[in-house]
Amino acid sequence: MILVVAEQKDGKLNRASWETIAAAQQLSGGSMPIKVGVAGQNVAAVANELAQAAVAEVIAVDHASLAHYTPDAFVQALQQVIAEAKPVLVFFPHTYQTRDFSPTLATRLDRALVTDVIAVKQSGGAATFARPMFQGKLTADVQPQGPTPHLVTIQIGAFRADAAQRGAAAAPVKTHTVTIDESKLRQKTEAPFQEAKQAVDLSQAERIVAVGRGIKSQENIAVAEQLAKAFGAELAASRPICDNGWLPMERQIGSSGQTVAPKLYVALGISGAIQHLVGMKGSRTIVAINKDAESPIFEVADYGIQGDLFELAPAIIAELQK
Amino acid sequence: MNRETLEVDVLIVGAGPAGLSAAVRLAQLQKGKGGEALSIAVIEKAPDAGRHQLSGALLDPSTLKDLIPGYESKGAPLGTPVDNDNIYFLTEKSKFRLPITPPPFQNHGNHIISLSHFTKWLASQVEAEGIDLFWGFPGQHVLYDGKRVIGVRTGDRGVDKHGKPKGAFEPGADIHAKVTIFADGVRGHLTRQLYRELQIGSGAEPPQFAIGIKELWDIPKDRLKPGTVIHTLGYPLRQEEFGGSWLYAMHDSRISIGFVVGLEYRDPLFDPHAAFQHFKRHPFISSILEGAQLVRYGAKALPEGGWNTQPQLFVDGALIVGDAANFVNSTRLKGIHLAMRSGMLAAETAFDALRAGDTSTKTLSTYKTRVDASAIKTELYPMRNVHQAFGGGLIAGSAYAGIAMFTNGRLLPDVSGHDGHHAMRRIDTYYGLDKRDDQVPSNAAPIDRKLTFDKVTGAHYSGTHHDEDQPVHLLVQTDVCHTICGSEYGHPCVKFCPANVYEMVDDGGGGKRLQINASNCVHCKTCDIMDPYQVITWVAPEGGEGPSYDGM
Repeated sequence: MILVVAEQKDGKLNRASWETIAAAQQLSGGSMPIKVGVAGQNVAAVANELAQAAVAEVIAVDHASLAHYTPDAFVQALQQVIAEAKPVLVFFPHTYQTRDFSPTLATRLDRALVTDVIAVKQSGGAATFARPMFQGKLTADVQPQGPTPHLVTIQIGAFRADAAQRGAAAAPVKTHTVTIDESKLRQKTEAPFQEAKQAVDLSQAERIVAVGRGIKSQENIAVAEQLAKAFGAELAASRPICDNGWLPMERQIGSSGQTVAPKLYVALGISGAIQHLVGMKGSRTIVAINKDAESPIFEVADYGIQGDLFELAPAIIAELQK
Repeated sequence: MNRETLEVDVLIVGAGPAGLSAAVRLAQLQKGKGGEALSIAVIEKAPDAGRHQLSGALLDPSTLKDLIPGYESKGAPLGTPVDNDNIYFLTEKSKFRLPITPPPFQNHGNHIISLSHFTKWLASQVEAEGIDLFWGFPGQHVLYDGKRVIGVRTGDRGVDKHGKPKGAFEPGADIHAKVTIFADGVRGHLTRQLYRELQIGSGAEPPQFAIGIKELWDIPKDRLKPGTVIHTLGYPLRQEEFGGSWLYAMHDSRISIGFVVGLEYRDPLFDPHAAFQHFKRHPFISSILEGAQLVRYGAKALPEGGWNTQPQLFVDGALIVGDAANFVNSTRLKGIHLAMRSGMLAAETAFDALRAGDTSTKTLSTYKTRVDASAIKTELYPMRNVHQAFGGGLIAGSAYAGIAMFTNGRLLPDVSGHDGHHAMRRIDTYYGLDKRDDQVPSNAAPIDRKLTFDKVTGAHYSGTHHDEDQPVHLLVQTDVCHTICGSEYGHPCVKFCPANVYEMVDDGGGGKRLQINASNCVHCKTCDIMDPYQVITWVAPEGGEGPSYDGM
């Protein structure tokens, strides 16, 4: 029997679960029964959804400790399900969650784990799994050794979800009760959150004031900040400024930073190395302020001001504030 | 840590002309002699065939004829046959044509090629034989069992700049081989490990190197006839510097232009890149480049020491081929055909050893016998002292080279070389008590961004790229940099690096500190060779990174 462990979150099925069912059906070719397990809290609806598949049974594992994913709780629960169902193979979708707990589960069971599988076949009566090696340069055919069950994770996208066969009638759903020893759970989940978006997205900025080596010291960055504020612009920099840690890397413009094309780009004390120019030459209007009239920045500037930025910047700020 | 391992019969490290020729030859032997199929793997740090290959280049097709008969019909990109040879001596304002072209500079029958394109083609021949080429996999460590080489560990991926694993961390793989063929190029960093750990250089003269800086330009049509070959000596180099230039007219009004300087110069403030800019400003050259367009830039060291600098070519479980073994004829400015020949001979040796079931030095030493009986020795032995003699200056060197040519190398005493970095003088020794601004190269050149370009622009035109968030691949013991190097040598790394990797910047406390812009590196190895304290070690960055020398 093949046990497919589906993945759900908050009652929503991860579609890679269907891909994994398709993989199991292909390997079985009707010769081996397939059961689908799904773990969580209040998984009845998801279990019924999975029962549409042409499988022998759906095992719903419901427990309050499984409401939010933790590797310890999932390993405990699945260990019990596997012990009772006695599958020969256990298939998982190769999701982040599976990657997190499957090595622990395999170790607890002391069974072989084949990860990142992209193709399955029967050869000589044994299940054979293809998985990439060396960044996909080679594909290795793997036959897990040792006592069953063997654990297998199926790479996302390797099988088509719509290739999973539906059954003529819904498969029976069986509820499997597990006991989870809360004292052995080493992780405690907090409320889920989405990582804050990057603080600055220069590619969306309409106006940018970029500062370069000509600013001379970290204290002087304030001059550029004030100029940016006066223009209502984002502050950016050329590489030496970020190398020195005077501004964060995410504000670097150029071949090793961001590429931007704002309506207005003010280059303050930037000589215009080609690596910087490739990051900003698409700007609609480029204003360059630099001491050295020979600087290459003037070759791409629409308006060039040759002079001392420490005199010019305050003058421009004063003018803008009028 | 769990590393992937791969077991092969032959591992070839480096997919240049030497490594790929070895692979082709192994496939041929396999086909011709049958027997159990050998597993062969080739690893290469470049992301694709030919991307780290840079040379002049004039190809002497002699080895190619032996290796791949009928190569013309197999699409070998042999470019333009050499049509006319010219050699000039330049002074600051004029040029003097040498009335006769000395034999080593005669190139009739040779071809002006792009080594990058040629290598790409050679790689396609290897792939057609069903041999696995692993692009983007740099060898990082030689693996040993005692004193026996058993393979190579490739570089880790996904390590951040503090050496911590990132999300996509993947440890390097251990590739175990019965025979490892080191084709890691000039100053190969794995062959260097063999020098250190197995003392393969102990019976040889110290290797000698030069730096070659190359640009591709598109010039107006009809300015130079395709197949034109020009070499120059003299300006802007002085008597004490050994080197010269090339200018080859390829097809479609594209020219290859470059400058070579021996890495044994004395002036610590000398800048090879600046010398190249002066060369381009010479009236003869600037008239050719007038109205032309820079297409690509690059730099690479080349081994110039010749026959007597070849290391021990075999150890238990391994062979050394090509530039890594210093097989370049610096008098003829050619090494591709020698690299290919050594690759072939190494393949034949490895094949016989595997069939005999013995890959110790007992069988692998026949590689040296084969090299000694081959065209490599015929060509290199007579010229074995020429480069070393030029260490004594242009006049003495020319005299030596002349005698060597006429006598075929007989009757002449061996001239001992020394490591090139020993030639560099301290500022006070070289300049006396004169106050020098050690921030400025002694030969600084004006930059107009039409004919002459600064190093940062050059780095851009090399197409080089490295992820910034990885460990610096230039290991420098920086404690000498801000303490004694300034007063003793004036930070020569800033001058000799052709890609602005090294910069001395304000340390915020009134002093200077070394800043390493590793992402500019074009993998030329000059710093590893020429740094006077020998505190710089070049190691491979993350696989697939570095210059992009398409067409070079």
